[in-house]
Amino acid sequence: MNFKLIASVSRSLLFARWKQTLIAAIGVTFGITMFIALLSFMGGLNGLLDSLIINRTPHIRLYKEVLPSDIQPVDLSAQYTNHYNFVNSIRPKNERPEIQNSFAVINALENDRRVLGVAPKVTAQVFYNVGLVNLTGLINGIDVDAENRLFAFSEYVTAGNFVDLKNIPNSIILGKAGAEKMMVEIGDVISVTNPRGDRIPLKVVGLFESGIQELDKVQSYASITTCQKILGESSGYITDLQIKLHDMTLAPEMAKEYSELFDTEAVDIQSANAQFDTGSSVRTLISYAVGVTLLIVAGFGIYNILNMMIYEKMDSIAILKATGFSGKDVNRIFIFIALTIGIFGGLLGLLFGFGASVLIDQIPFDTPALPHITTYPVSYNPKFYIIGGIFSLVTTYFAGYFPSQKASKIDPVIIIRGK
Amino acid sequence: MKILEAKNINKSFHDPITIQVLKEVTFSIEQGEFISVIGKSGCGKSTLLYILSTMDTDYEGDLIIDGVLMRNKKEAELARVRNEKIGFVFQFHYLLNEFSVLRNVMLPGIKLGKYSDQEVEHKAMEKLKILGIESEAKKKPNQLSGGQKQRVAIARALINDPLIIMADEPLVILTKKTANWSLTFSRSYLMSIISRCS
Ligand SMILES: Nc1ncnc2c1ncn2[C@@H]1O[C@H](COP(=O)(O)OP(=O)(O)O)[C@@H](O)[C@H]1O
Ligand SMILES: [Mg+2]
Repeated sequence: MNFKLIASVSRSLLFARWKQTLIAAIGVTFGITMFIALLSFMGGLNGLLDSLIINRTPHIRLYKEVLPSDIQPVDLSAQYTNHYNFVNSIRPKNERPEIQNSFAVINALENDRRVLGVAPKVTAQVFYNVGLVNLTGLINGIDVDAENRLFAFSEYVTAGNFVDLKNIPNSIILGKAGAEKMMVEIGDVISVTNPRGDRIPLKVVGLFESGIQELDKVQSYASITTCQKILGESSGYITDLQIKLHDMTLAPEMAKEYSELFDTEAVDIQSANAQFDTGSSVRTLISYAVGVTLLIVAGFGIYNILNMMIYEKMDSIAILKATGFSGKDVNRIFIFIALTIGIFGGLLGLLFGFGASVLIDQIPFDTPALPHITTYPVSYNPKFYIIGGIFSLVTTYFAGYFPSQKASKIDPVIIIRGK
Repeated sequence: MKILEAKNINKSFHDPITIQVLKEVTFSIEQGEFISVIGKSGCGKSTLLYILSTMDTDYEGDLIIDGVLMRNKKEAELARVRNEKIGFVFQFHYLLNEFSVLRNVMLPGIKLGKYSDQEVEHKAMEKLKILGIESEAKKKPNQLSGGQKQRVAIARALINDPLIIMADEPLVILTKKTANWSLTFSRSYLMSIISRCS
């Protein structure tokens, strides 16, 4: 069809009522701007909270719990196989909370295609010796590179260099709150007591802030070898395997699978942190709902203005029809008007939305809990812009649909006779 | 050659009471013929014109334009017929105030899509010249006098070189000067003007 003609007629009708057109476009612009700003901010916030919890939590954690055996000697006795055997006060036997055959397990996990990476860990219960006082502590022996790659370890080491943990033997990174309590600084040497009562000196090479004060007072990080040394264990001694997957949603079933395969306990992130997942999705849902509402309101604005325009332009529509424009042409003209408002309003909205996001991104946001965050978090996910753009077109199309349908049905005879 | 034939056209209005306005109207128009329909106010001249111009489809009887029966034609097809074969001059000029005079004349021509925009513009200027209003081409219709407006409307009716021009009470045509124009049209464009005076 003669697109150029339709476009030119639409343009003339638009400019003839440019103030109303502008107001309609501003409605769309405002809606899209708020939509983008809101979603970017919410997205940023979700990302932040995710990074606080989810990104630092393994998707699956394998560990060994020291539990009493399910099968007691009496169950193995042929004489009592057909009996109900009750054994009270069963105690676990003296076992170390160690993952058996850890090298082989790590190897098997790393060859699993669904797995992004594995970070082994050794935890050691210790006492930090401060003068005559002993403070309870928990040292996490970590593979520094894997921990950083999978759980952004460097992000919460706020003083010192996290790599020193790997390079300097017998080094430790303390929680900032814990270091303050012990009155030590980077470079100082502290001593810890292991479960057997041996004292081991460790050099403080850094401080971390996890965002949770109580945790910072108790926990600290050392390399795996340092930790194994503290415990007096061999290099195969691993207590935890932290697994990150390509697809987090697979975690529950894979946890079950690994638990059977490797004969360990396995927790998936969904059961460990169910509330965070729900929180993110509810926040996202709310921001989408608000954004969509804004756009629908803008859509009603367009609908009203087009309806008004049709009443004002009855004569023009009748003339166009009398001189050979079909109902379809008239319909297209009004759809074109609506979409023009949608496209320009929407594009401006995307631009302003981006501007608003950049602006939010500049606002200082100081929180001791999140040391690496200095401004409000904003996500520049292109998905928001695509959804916003498509939605502005869809709303304006529907806002234009009914008025244009009405315009196309106008009977020129009635209008012309009415004069 | 017959360019328009009306056969037994009946038209009634039912609101508020049923009255038959057109009764068995039958006639035909030859190419180049000039026809005036005369009758007293309210006798149905405009009603007939709306039917002949294919805008009103609610009638009984047959309308044949350029040898083609108009019955059962789709809305878009009738629009095409109006665009290509009929030039219509309304009782109250009816120009689009959003467009310049020139553009008003050009629109049906661009819609026809037979010629490029430049050619249509050239033709439109020619028509405006014939009617002596080429100097007003760049103005908006609401800046013109009533008579000038009607001349623009006539120029618009001429743009696609229609088979037939229909005019409803075209006052300008009835003035002394334009009476000559109507003669000019009928010779050079081989068309008919249906008009009326009360
Ligand atoms: N929409 C309508 N409903 C009912 N009656 C109508 C309608 N339009 C026209 N009429 C009647 O039809 C008759 C013819 O009208 P019209 O063709 O406009 O007359 P004129 O010859 O003056 O142009 C008039 O009596 C008028 O009242
Ligand atoms: Mg009349």
